[in-house]
Amino acid sequence: MSRLERRYRRLLLCYPLAFRRARADEIVGTLLELAPPGRTRPTWPEGFNLVRHGLRARLGRPASRTVVAWAALASVLCGLFAGAVGVRLGWATARPLPTAQETLAAFHEAFPNYRASEIESDVTLFFMTWRPFRKDEGILRGLDTFYQPGATTATVFHAPPLDHQQIMQTAQDSLRAAGWSLYPATPVDTAGCATCQQTGEPRRYTMSATREDIVLILEVEALPTASADLSVSLGRTTPWPVYPAGIVIGLLAAAAGWMVFGWASRRTQNRMAVQVMVTFFYTIAMLAWIFAVTFGVSSALPRHLSTPRPRWDPMWEWVGLSKPAPLVLFLIGSVCALLALALAALPRLRTRQARQGATA
Amino acid sequence: MAEMREPTFLVLTVLADGPRHGYGIIRDVAELSGDRVKLLPGTLYAALDRLVAQGLVEHVRDEIAEGRLRRYYSLTGAGLEALRAETARLRQLATVAEARLRAVNPRLA
Repeated sequence: MSRLERRYRRLLLCYPLAFRRARADEIVGTLLELAPPGRTRPTWPEGFNLVRHGLRARLGRPASRTVVAWAALASVLCGLFAGAVGVRLGWATARPLPTAQETLAAFHEAFPNYRASEIESDVTLFFMTWRPFRKDEGILRGLDTFYQPGATTATVFHAPPLDHQQIMQTAQDSLRAAGWSLYPATPVDTAGCATCQQTGEPRRYTMSATREDIVLILEVEALPTASADLSVSLGRTTPWPVYPAGIVIGLLAAAAGWMVFGWASRRTQNRMAVQVMVTFFYTIAMLAWIFAVTFGVSSALPRHLSTPRPRWDPMWEWVGLSKPAPLVLFLIGSVCALLALALAALPRLRTRQARQGATA
Repeated sequence: MAEMREPTFLVLTVLADGPRHGYGIIRDVAELSGDRVKLLPGTLYAALDRLVAQGLVEHVRDEIAEGRLRRYYSLTGAGLEALRAETARLRQLATVAEARLRAVNPRLA
């Protein structure tokens, strides 16, 4: 076997095994006839063309015009959810949350004239608390969770009345002098929402800053009793391994999604009853996953657009895995996808009959 | 049937002349199109698979030449009919275009 032939056969690995068994000799024969004498490597267009059509051949159904779109949809969604898992793994490389001493020091850098009255430390970088199920609240309300990134927070409650603008200006000057990079201050409502409709003069402001791998979130709130609450929370910036981990795992899962979809598609072609059931479960799975992602994006995007922030919300929030309703949708979709694969894995009737005939 | 793409039309046209193997189809398509359409093998075999699945083309025989497998394909009755229909469609479009060109500038047509 010549070096060129070996290289062509290596490119044909993009095609499914059964296809290669039936057609590899024919395709390689044509490729070799087309190659001018002396060529030892496939050209780039040839290589790209074989990879592209090989991946298409993995989906089976050569006459279908839509199977590529359905495979791409499954592949993208698998990539997004697995990318979120990769991002979580990447976050495992982050240093633990800043200590209470570091937080107190940052508080006094921001508010030199105040002394923190309370310090609260979360244990992990992200946490989710499951609220106990209550019968009167229905299933989704009962699954309600309290999720947020972890932080160490120093607060002073009921400080003497103060002027928002003045205290924010003082805090910004002090933090800048201490080497923090500042983000613009944003008014938020009393629940911390920057995108919600606010009535009257804003009474609460928030601002972010970063230094090294620390994110500082400063909040100033004037209470109706005319006293004020001031707080400084410290968390971690996104560690760099989050990006390669998310991208690599996401891409691998997208490729796996394509391959698995192709396997199921090839196994179900010409099996009408199985195909109808697999299509049903596939449709439910895709709809559930699309709704979960739409839910996540529609809640994360306005937040990002409205509040200047030093770090993106982690990817699992963007794909809806941090909220109970989209999480349930994701689980429903996953179960349906597994059911579709299990149905596709059923042996063909002819094979079963042949096996029974052989054992009889 | 959906509108036929040019490479498909050319493959069917080549096969209308009799059975051909992959290399022969690629060479004849390039010749028919004046070297404008150069099919790559990946594209050709994807098109052949699709045409076989649609019942327009069939595999007729295998041959070993210089140690290489050559698989021959030919048009089916349905393939011949599809080619005929597409040719009529293109002819009708060409006739309309020629008539309009003649109306714009008689010397151009």
